[in-house]
Amino acid sequence: MSQIAQQVFNALQLGSFYALIALGYSMVYSILMLFNFAHGDVFMVATYIGYFVAVGLLGLVAASMLPLPSWALFVLTLVLTMFLASFVGILVELVAYRPLRDAPRASAAITGLMVGIFMETGVLALLGASRKDFPALIPPQTFQLGPIYVTNLKILTLGMTLLLLVLLYLLIHHTKLGMAMRAMSFDYAVVPLLGIPMNTVISFTFALGSALAGAAGILYGMSYPVLDPYMGVIIGWKAFVAAILGGRGSIFGAVVGGFMLGAIEILVAATMPSTMRDLIAYSIVLLILTFRPYGLFGEEYSARLRL
Amino acid sequence: MSISVSSTPFRRSLRSKLQALRDVPVGSWFLGAALAVLLEWYIGPALAYALGLGQIPAIFGLSLILKKPWLIPSVLLYLVLIYGLPLAVMARLSAGLIRRLEARLSTGVYVGLHLVLLFFLLWAWSSADDYRLLVIRLLAINILATMSLNIVNGWMGEFSVSVAGFMAVGAYVSSVLMVWGFVNDDVFGPPVFPPQLAPMAFPIVLVIAGAVTAFSALAVAIPSFRTRGDYLAIITLAYVFIVRSFFENMEFIGGPRGFMNQPEVAGFPMVFFWTVFGIWVMRNYVTSILGKATNAVRDNESAAEMMTINTRAVKITAFLTHAFWAGVAGGLYAHVIGYINPATFDIRRSAEILGMLYLGGLNSITGSLLGPVLFMFLSEVLRPFQLLKWLVIPVILIYAMIRRPRGLMGFQELRIPFLERRRIAREEEKLHGAAGD
Amino acid sequence: MALLEIEGLTHWFGGLRAVYNFHTRIEPGEIRGLIGPNGAGKTTIFNLVTGYYRPTEGRIVFLGRDITGKRPNEIGKLGISRTFQNLRLWTHLTALENIMLAYYGQIRYGLIGAFFNTRRRQEEEARIEVEAMDLMRMLEIETYAHRVVSGLPYGIQRKVEIARALATKPKLLLLDEPTAGMSPAEMLETMEFIQFVRERFNLTIWLIEHRMKFVMNLCNWIQVLNFGEVIAEGPPDVIRDHPDVVRAYLGEMVEI
Repeated sequence: MSQIAQQVFNALQLGSFYALIALGYSMVYSILMLFNFAHGDVFMVATYIGYFVAVGLLGLVAASMLPLPSWALFVLTLVLTMFLASFVGILVELVAYRPLRDAPRASAAITGLMVGIFMETGVLALLGASRKDFPALIPPQTFQLGPIYVTNLKILTLGMTLLLLVLLYLLIHHTKLGMAMRAMSFDYAVVPLLGIPMNTVISFTFALGSALAGAAGILYGMSYPVLDPYMGVIIGWKAFVAAILGGRGSIFGAVVGGFMLGAIEILVAATMPSTMRDLIAYSIVLLILTFRPYGLFGEEYSARLRL
Repeated sequence: MSISVSSTPFRRSLRSKLQALRDVPVGSWFLGAALAVLLEWYIGPALAYALGLGQIPAIFGLSLILKKPWLIPSVLLYLVLIYGLPLAVMARLSAGLIRRLEARLSTGVYVGLHLVLLFFLLWAWSSADDYRLLVIRLLAINILATMSLNIVNGWMGEFSVSVAGFMAVGAYVSSVLMVWGFVNDDVFGPPVFPPQLAPMAFPIVLVIAGAVTAFSALAVAIPSFRTRGDYLAIITLAYVFIVRSFFENMEFIGGPRGFMNQPEVAGFPMVFFWTVFGIWVMRNYVTSILGKATNAVRDNESAAEMMTINTRAVKITAFLTHAFWAGVAGGLYAHVIGYINPATFDIRRSAEILGMLYLGGLNSITGSLLGPVLFMFLSEVLRPFQLLKWLVIPVILIYAMIRRPRGLMGFQELRIPFLERRRIAREEEKLHGAAGD
Repeated sequence: MALLEIEGLTHWFGGLRAVYNFHTRIEPGEIRGLIGPNGAGKTTIFNLVTGYYRPTEGRIVFLGRDITGKRPNEIGKLGISRTFQNLRLWTHLTALENIMLAYYGQIRYGLIGAFFNTRRRQEEEARIEVEAMDLMRMLEIETYAHRVVSGLPYGIQRKVEIARALATKPKLLLLDEPTAGMSPAEMLETMEFIQFVRERFNLTIWLIEHRMKFVMNLCNWIQVLNFGEVIAEGPPDVIRDHPDVVRAYLGEMVEI
């Protein structure tokens, strides 16, 4: 019993990462009808940004130039990383997608993939192949809740994710830019009517997605403190699959898909050899998509490649 | 503004020069190339030594451009003397003769003759250097894979990324069969058949590997009935991950460590034959009504269905053809390199082939040849950079995509003047024939 | 025997009823009209007959065979072909290729032929090409044969689409607003053209049209659809004065 509860927490933690990243895919899809194939690497770059922010701030604290308690340090790191990461997303859109807005979407997919490869190689070239250890911003603690043991990191991850989701909801539903985003996901042509330039909305969406990826990066780095340039490929593609599983362009779907993929993976890992995890997780995804081709919450939508 | 640019005298004279080059029959170029190969064979090493290059530049000295820029003049001189001069001389001298000879050939003999010539030329050229031999075989394999991918992504207008997965299945199946059958191996024990038979059996093994790959491709072909566009792309993506994970879990063939000991059966003739054969078969397919139906599915699927096209059969055939030839390409790859592991065929490999395809151009056989050639040229130039290569290639591809979103030869084919004249003659004959009755 | 017989055809899109209890019986040689305001369900009926949608209820019998729920390509092969309201040509292909592809259902060579370019395939495709060219000549569009359709004038594209529909050798041809976007003069031309095609190919024609004049002059029997239900049917002069029809069309059609 406690075993199961333990695994539920693990699944929620893993699902949190996937959900936060999957949101970036879904939001961009909902307004531009294209998948940002570079988003996994945006997550990776954001995590590295988080690493440097954290190391820098910890250095300031150690030199007693910044007298902050650890929780404040964490919040500061998170906010700063999210802010910086948002520019990565804006930049990716500017380079890879904006010049191709009227081109066939397959071409945009290629540029996205290439920007991703560029970022991986760039990080590899700048920082070398050695892995970086994410510093412990908050000293780990373990609580006992009845029969189960939970680390403060798991609770923090889950809590932060929920908080960010609520903030995102408020942002999308109660700000002008958020409303423009929603309007655009219905119809491209409405946006100018709201008095906001379309490019602003698009940049904002990319910024939002990358900021969430930045948050995911910090939380991920704190839980699995080894960073390498290919983490974006591994985690990013999975988050992508989670976004699909929920239904493309559906923000609610992305969150559910993220938590579902987390649950599937933990379930497989708990019951089978760990090397089988990807094999079974992806097979399940393939099966789900074969029988529900539009994802769990997606609508049938005849999106064609614009050739 | 582009109009005024295109009509500058320089452009115009360049165009007329190019037109003059186009009029030189392919056969003359081949003669020139033959002369170049002979020259390189006899005086290449001495010339290279005299010019301070040490040895003959393997791939036109491309990798020297960035590694030892001060050698560029020597390389250029070498290229002009060994390649440029014979080509120019022969193109000039033999054009008239070759043109008269050509006129007597039937189209079939013309094509066959040129293929045989091409084969011997490439073989002779690449035999001068082991590295050349490796690069040219890899190029052929990439062409095969790119062309097969073009059927699904270009002709049928889907966005499939599973090519790496297909290559992996083909590579593993063929490797296991060859090692089991013809090699004394730790895992599979002594060979089942006499090892001398390996080269003879390899084509059969490749066909089996291709067939198994095609069968596994049903996993993406069947969902394609109901799914198009992005979702199908995801399914093909999942396929790549599943295949990779599957082979990582197959401990008896090495798991993540990989699998080796493949017999050396994929020499240049073998690779050349399979590439040409594959291109021929796929060309036949996409020019037939049965194959062109992929275009109808791409341009308007519902109209295709109602105009009696069995869209399910079309989709299955397109995916399975793609998978078969990508599987064959994978099988050849495994035996050229002599070692494979699951990471060889990760999503990066797919991105690479996709890059070649979209660089060359969709819905184009010429594009499927041009893309890999340019891509390999590029990666040859950038080879000294090693890691940084993957910083430059994406930038170039992004630039190419922005400038020509359909690729260099998208929806076009290179017209060989001779074949073009024959085609026009045929058309006219048909028109007159029809008017006669 | 009737060519086409439809009984109790009903179709729902989710919670929306597009067609309700539609009946008809079309005899060989007819030119049948289906009219009604926008969104009345006319195109839905065509989509049901050609198998693009599977009907919620009802039965469609063509030449004595139940074709309800068959796939569109099978129905096409049995002898029902159609054109579309907004042209649905294969835009990257030439006019000739568009028409040749519609012979897909009549091809007798298999994959071996396709892959290895056998003599049989060559002969068959040469024959199809000749036939397609003949067809184009008959419709007087042969000069456009080797041009990519997306660059052709609208009227020619319409003819190519009809030629493509004819290439499947239909017995029943469904025309979905054949005069959409045409001037009155072009409309008259199209009227003659449809008559010509019907006689030349011995066809039965069922058409959806918005222009009353066109329908009244061409059709021998007209059904009027409103909100998915037939509100009137009969020969042109009955329909013209039918009070329900006038009411349904009030404000919809200025030009009667």
